This record gives sequence, C-alpha cells and structure tokens, in this order.
Amino acid sequence: MNAMELIALTPVLILTLGATTLLMVGAWHKQVIPLVTGGIIVALAAAGAALLIQPPVAEIAGMFGSGPYARFFTLFWALSAALVLALSIRYIHEQTIPAGEYTSLVLFAATGMALLSSATSLVGIFLGLEAFTLSFYILIAINRHCDFSAEAGLKYLVMGAVATGFMAFGIGLLYACSGSFHLPEALHGLQTGGALRPWGLLGWGMLLVAIGFKISLVPFHLWTPDVYQGAPTPVVSFLATGSKGAVAAALIGLFASGPSGWGDMTSLLWILAVLTMLVGALCALMQTHIKRLLAYSSVVHMGTLLVGLLCQSRDGLTAGVFYVVVYCIASLGSFALIASLADHGDEPGALADWRGLGYRYPVRGGVLTVLLLSLAGMPPTAGFMAKFAIFHAAIQADLLSLALLGILASLISFAFYLKVILTLFTPNEAVAERHSGTGLEHTVLAICVTGVLLFGVVPGLLFDLIGRILP
Amino acid sequence: MSDNLLSLMTFFPLVGMIVVLFLPREADRLIKSVTLVVTIITFFISLPLAFDDVFKTSAAMQYTEFARWISIGDYFQMNYNVGVDGISLWLVLLTTFIMPIAILSTWQAIDKYTKAFMALALLLETAMLGAFISLDLFLFYIFWELMLIPMYFMIGIWGGKNRIYASVKFFLFTAVGSLLMLVAIIYVYYFSVKVGVPFENGFSVAHFYNLDIPGNLQNWLFLAFAFSFAIKVPMFPVHTWLPDAHTEAPTAGSVILAAILLKMGTYGYVRFAIPLFPEATQTYTPFLATLCVIGIIYGALVAMMQEDVKKLVAYSSVSHLGFVMLGVFAMNLQGLSGGMLQMINHGISTGALFLIVGFIYERRHTRLIVEFGGIAKKMPIFATIFLIITLSSIGLPGTNGFVGEFLILVGAFESELRWFAVIATTGVIFAAVYMLWMYQRVMVGKLKNPANETLKDLNAREIVIMLPLLLFVFWIGIYPNTFFEKMNPSLENLIDQVKAKQQVAMMVEEVEQAPIKIVVND
Repeated sequence: MNAMELIALTPVLILTLGATTLLMVGAWHKQVIPLVTGGIIVALAAAGAALLIQPPVAEIAGMFGSGPYARFFTLFWALSAALVLALSIRYIHEQTIPAGEYTSLVLFAATGMALLSSATSLVGIFLGLEAFTLSFYILIAINRHCDFSAEAGLKYLVMGAVATGFMAFGIGLLYACSGSFHLPEALHGLQTGGALRPWGLLGWGMLLVAIGFKISLVPFHLWTPDVYQGAPTPVVSFLATGSKGAVAAALIGLFASGPSGWGDMTSLLWILAVLTMLVGALCALMQTHIKRLLAYSSVVHMGTLLVGLLCQSRDGLTAGVFYVVVYCIASLGSFALIASLADHGDEPGALADWRGLGYRYPVRGGVLTVLLLSLAGMPPTAGFMAKFAIFHAAIQADLLSLALLGILASLISFAFYLKVILTLFTPNEAVAERHSGTGLEHTVLAICVTGVLLFGVVPGLLFDLIGRILP
Repeated sequence: MSDNLLSLMTFFPLVGMIVVLFLPREADRLIKSVTLVVTIITFFISLPLAFDDVFKTSAAMQYTEFARWISIGDYFQMNYNVGVDGISLWLVLLTTFIMPIAILSTWQAIDKYTKAFMALALLLETAMLGAFISLDLFLFYIFWELMLIPMYFMIGIWGGKNRIYASVKFFLFTAVGSLLMLVAIIYVYYFSVKVGVPFENGFSVAHFYNLDIPGNLQNWLFLAFAFSFAIKVPMFPVHTWLPDAHTEAPTAGSVILAAILLKMGTYGYVRFAIPLFPEATQTYTPFLATLCVIGIIYGALVAMMQEDVKKLVAYSSVSHLGFVMLGVFAMNLQGLSGGMLQMINHGISTGALFLIVGFIYERRHTRLIVEFGGIAKKMPIFATIFLIITLSSIGLPGTNGFVGEFLILVGAFESELRWFAVIATTGVIFAAVYMLWMYQRVMVGKLKNPANETLKDLNAREIVIMLPLLLFVFWIGIYPNTFFEKMNPSLENLIDQVKAKQQVAMMVEEVEQAPIKIVVND
C-alpha cells in the first residue's frame, strides 16, 4: 500500500484511528459528553474528508474503490454515524453504558459500512460486512441491564454467524469457478455463453442467502423484528439504516459492474423480491409494537429495492440508490423519534402507548407523520419519488407484473403506516408524559424531515448526483 | 397578477395553513376566523375566472402557467403545467365557493383540535384546486394523492363512532385505484417517449391526447384509469366506502367530500380517461353505462330503506352521480353539458343536504328518522330551506336539479344509450319517493317526540351559510345559460376530438374486417 492509496483511504483511516483513540481515552475518562462529542467530530471529519479529498488512485489494494460512488456512501454513512451518536448521548447517560466503547463501536461500524459500499472485490465485501457485523454483535447487547437486549444480541450473533458461513462458502465457490476475487472479472468469469456456470450459480445462491440474512429478505428475515424490538433504539436506528443500506449499496455496485445477463439468478431474485414485499407487508399488518412494525416495514423496503435491481438497467440502479438513501433518512428519523420519547429506557413501544401522543407532542407527532408518509410513499415526500422511480424503471424494463405486485405490497403498507398515524392522533385523555427530547435529538429529527421533504419536492438534486456517481 | 392567478389561488390556502399552524392552540375562535378569511380571500382571487368572457368563445386552456419542475437524468421530466378551460372552470369555482361554507359550518361542530382541523381543511383546498387545474398527469397525480391524507384525518379524528374503520376503508379504496392509475400513467408516459414524443414534454395531457395507442393497450390503460375514477365517483359496485365515510365524517368533511371530492372522479373521466383512450371508451361504454344505471336504481332503492338521514343522503349521491356519468358517456353536447352541470348541482344540493343534516344533528345528536317528525312547526325557516333543497335534489323544474337531469336524459336518449336513458328515468321517480318520504317523516305530521319540543330554529350564521346555496339553486334552475355558455366551447371541442378518433378507429376496423377480394385477371 503506497501513499497514494493511503490518501484515498483517509476518510476510513480517520474513522478507525478516531475510534481506536476514543476507545483508549474512554478506558480512563468516563465522561459521556466529551467522548460522544469526540465521536461526532471524528465522524464529521471523515465525512468532510470524503467530500473534499480527491483520491489520487481509483482503487485501494485491489479491494476497495475510491471513486465517486464509494466517496458518496462513505460520506453518507459517516454522517449517519454522527446522527446516531447525537441520538445516543442521553441513552448512554441513562443506562450507564461505557461511552468510550459505545462511541468507538459505532465508528467502527461506520468504517465497515464505508468499506462494504466501496468494495470492488469479493474479499472487500467480506471484510466490510464482517467489520460492521462484529460491531453490531456487541452494540445490540451492550445494555447489560436489559434481558431483551441480550436475547436480541444472541439472536443476531447466531444468525450472523450462519450468514457469514454462507458468505464465505459462496465466495469460495465463486473464486473456484472464476479464478478471481476482483470485480467485475469474478462475475464475468462465471459465465459461459450468457449463462451462469453451475458452480457459479451455487456460489451466487450462497452469497444471496448471506445477503438475504443481512438485509432481511423473506425467508431470511425472521431475526429482524426480535432484534429491532430488543436492541437499544439508537443502535436499531443504525442497524436499520446503515447495515442494510451498506449491503444494498454493495449489491447495487455488484449489479452495476457485473455483466448484463444474470441467467437463472433473475428468476431467483424475482421470487425473493415478491415474497419479501408481500410477506413483509402482510406481517407488518399484524404488528402491535412500533419497532416490530418498522422492522417489517424495512423488510418490505428491501423487497422493493430488489425490484429496482431486477430492472437490470441504469435507471433501475439509479432508482435503487435513491431508494436506499431516502429509506435510510426516513428510517433513521423514525427510530430517532422513538429514542427522543424514551425516558430511562421506558419508551412507547406498543401501539396503545402511542394513542394521543400526537396531541401531547404536536411537533414530533407531525414529524413522525411526515416520516411514515415517506416510508409509505405518499407525495410530496421523497418516499413517493423513490417508489415512483423504482416502478417507473420496472415498467420500462417490461417487468409489469413485478411492478403490480409491488404496488399491491405498497397498498398493504399504506394500511399499517396509516394505523400508526391515526393512533398517534386518536384522542386520549390519559396520555402518558414522555421525555421532551434534547436539542440534539430535535436537530437530528429536523435534518431527517428536511431531507425527506427536500428530496420529495426537488428530487432532481439527488437523482442528478446519483446519475453522475453510479459506476 | 393575472399571469399567476391560478398559482396564487391554489397556494394561498397553503400559506394560510402555515399561518394557522403558528396560531396559539387555545385561540379556537381566532383559528376559525383566520381560516374563514383565508377561504373567502381564495374565493375572491378565483372570482375573475367567473367573469372572464374568453371561455365563451375559446376552448383552449386559459391562464396557463408553465415551469420545469422535476427532472431526472435524461429520461424523466415533469412540469408544473396548469390552466383552466370550460371543463374545469366551474369546478374550480365550486371548490372556492364551497370551502368558506364548509368552514363556517364548523363553528360549533368542531370543538376539539380545531387547529389541526383547519390546517387540514386548507391543505385539502390546495390539493383539490391543484388537481382541477393540473395539465400534467403527474402533477395531477401528486395533488390527487395529497387530497387523500387530509380527508383521511378528517374522518379518522373528528368522525363518529366507527371512524377508524370508515377512514381506513376510504383510504384503501381510493389508494387501490390511484396506484393502478399511477402504473397506467407511467405506462402512457413510457409509450409516448417510445413513439418519439420528446421527454421534455413531461406528462403533458395535451400531448398525450395526440397519441395513437394501439387498441389492446388502450383497453388496459383505460380500465386502470376508469377503475380509479370509478372508485372516487363512486360507481356501483365500488361505492361501498362512500356511505361509511359520509356517515362517520364530520359535517364539514361530508360537505367537502360530497361537493368536491366526488367530482374528482367524474372530472377525471372527462379530462383524462375518455379523451386519452377514446376507442377503449367506446368499447366499454355499454358496460359502464350499465353500471351507471344499476347505480342510479340501486342507490335510490337503498336510500329509500335508510333509517339514518345522513346515510340516505349518502346513497342518494350514488344515484345522482350515476346520472352524471350516464350523461358523460352519452358523449353528445346535451349529455355532457348536463353531466357537467349536474356535477355543480350535486355539489350545491348534496352539500346543502349534508349541512342540513348537520344542523339537526348538532341540536339533537341523532340522525335517525324515527326520532323526528313534525319539527316543521318548531323550525319554520329550517323547514322552508330544507324543502327547497329537497326539491332541488329531486329535480323539480325551476331548480337546478331539473336542468341537469333533464339534459342528461335527453342526451342519453339521443345517443346509443337510449334504453339506458329509459330505465334511468325511473331513478328520477325513486328520488322523489325517498326524498319526499324522508321529508315527510322528519318535518311534517304531529310532533310526537318530546325531545323535539325545545328545538330552536336556524340562527343567523346558519342562514348565512344556506343563502348562497339557495341563490344558486334558483340561478341555475332559471338561467343556466350563465354556466353553459362558458363550458360549451370546451365540451364541443372535447366531443369532436373524441368522436373523430373513434371514427378513425372504426374505419380502420371496417377495412380490416372487409373480405379481401382476389381479382384474378386471366
């Protein structure tokens, strides 16, 4: 690795070195606010570095890209990490969680996401994925006072280990078949005359199972609601956005660089997409706990994202990136809202707890409404434009049936998002007092809502950017 | 100023909404007054449209505005493209006219969360006006969806006992249709780009009118649009959300829903579904006209059996809108102009009926017919107004309902839908039965229920609400030309455009079906 590559790697280096430093400092100095503030500064510095430093080389160590696509997502995950840390301050305080460990783990996770999104080789994908998954194993179970948290951590650990196994084996098979780890050569090497070699197909299948676990595609989604319910809310806000978004970004990168024909994979993905959208939406309909509901909502969203990938067109991939970004903003905002209402671990979970909260806290009620409408895909929010772009691409790619099934799923989704919104504004005299939220938490919410509305009204801003950065 | 008249009119309520959001929550009266003033100013902004004589001679879009809005790469473009012609003119004015009335009706009816209600009402007004003036299909869709959310809340928060069920049902029914329409809109756009219309035109309806969409595709697209609009109208058999929504909605919500929101469906047919897909329209006209006639008769019969006044009015809407659609499908000037006029009439009469139901509900907190009887003696002014509105709803000559229904039936009779018109005429008789019978049971006879002894007659505010509506009942009934002369040029243009395309399609079909003669020259 030479100096050029190190310059290109600056954002990631800032994140890792910052995380290590904070971990060390945290061992001696336990004050929460300086540590977390330090973490936020590190994350913002990394974001700034990703934005400003022109990488002198296109690829780092043959494993990670440093092109505009990689920089965009590095920036995005670093900013998300900063927002998540801003959300976590009060939680860390109230639950007496070691701030140094927490902050550095969030930063390490962001590092992993940045690496994963910019991976240009199968090894890079594996490294990036494991880097943030390992952080999450600890983060999910970091609250030792809470049994649910431990249960969620164990569940995520077991599922994650299985997924890792599948991934390693799948990558092994792909390597055996194509003789290269590097993308896109590894993908081109899998093909003979437009069709996948059998071992290649098996390898892809294994890889897809692992990815399916990570972004919770049906039938690999079963861990999601339990983990979301049990884990600390600020952690979930990162788990729901960063970990899924980074895998999705890597997947989009794979599709963008890979060969045009996917042979038998297409039908497999088709089935996964339909199952994920419909089963996710139907299960969400049954939920009475807000975090479980949002968990299933994220399942549906990942299914819709697959529709964009299946288009196998540039429009589809552009729409996919837009979708990921918008989903992340809205989802982060929703969990941030739950976190801002929590007081010493007592947060409104069951839908019954939400009755009338919209009147008690009108601003945050309005914020949640906008965010949920974006997740549901109603104009004038960004969620509508995202969904529209995906279905637009699907129709252009002659995937009418897929678009119609997706629309059916959106329709079912409307029902459960609306249920929450209406509960929020159902008159209730006995509405419980909740925490009024810190200024920092309100800032996070304001950023998310602004993003959702801005990209809803002038989506061209983001679309043009994505059009330029997509490899 | 007249350059941006439409935008000013559409977005003024939105500005008002933001102002309302910043008012203190407890200042109930202040919030209502501000909202009322905003809606009245909006009405005055829209008033120059009513006095503009250009509509008498020109079928073209007036007051057009154009701005590029959302563009994605080099394949997607939507524009802020608005304008009014004779078709949308009166619907726009109906909207700005009904809104102050609806707001005034909430003075006592809405006593909790006033701020939220008023903010939603203003948002709804922006959305409705936007939908009527949109000339870009995508823009129309955005406004169309935007209408859903405020109405959903109005029913879901300020509604009656079953409000959750009713609001979710309302939302899901409408959403099913609109999502299908979205797919169809994307498809039309995709088709237009494929045949070489530059993508910069966006979803401009004027350009889509000129497309030659092949028959089979046209049928599917038409069905998607027609289904979506049929839910909104609502036509039999997708009307079932309407009685629930109306029964549960607060009075102002019912008035807006009946007077304006339902017109979105009929307007959608006239503006989009029929001219975009004229051949498919022709194919499906007998089928849809059958549904209209079923709706007319069925709505009337079910209305007759209702015990709740509000439900009765709701079902009468199904029947009335069946007439409107029948007139539209007749596709001649009488039928279409009758249909358009009947949209306004229905807005006025049914809006007034819901207000009347609201008046007695506020006094007695019940709407069951058996609870009343003989209250005309206690409320003479109310009885008079109620009678006039009842007669207008039935379509007595001299009132607005007569002109509309008569023209619709004449139009349908002169078109291919002759037998449909004959059957539909029975609906007029049924209407007289259920309305008069209801009036009789509620208003006349002996005052039996002691709870009705203390009923007070209408107060000044309530009379002020009703007066403008009464004015138009008679104005349209006696001199409907004011309205016809401004919509006819646009309607004639529409009919020519649709008929021409249908004829071309028929000629092509005839040529294709004609036996091919092989002449062999020895």
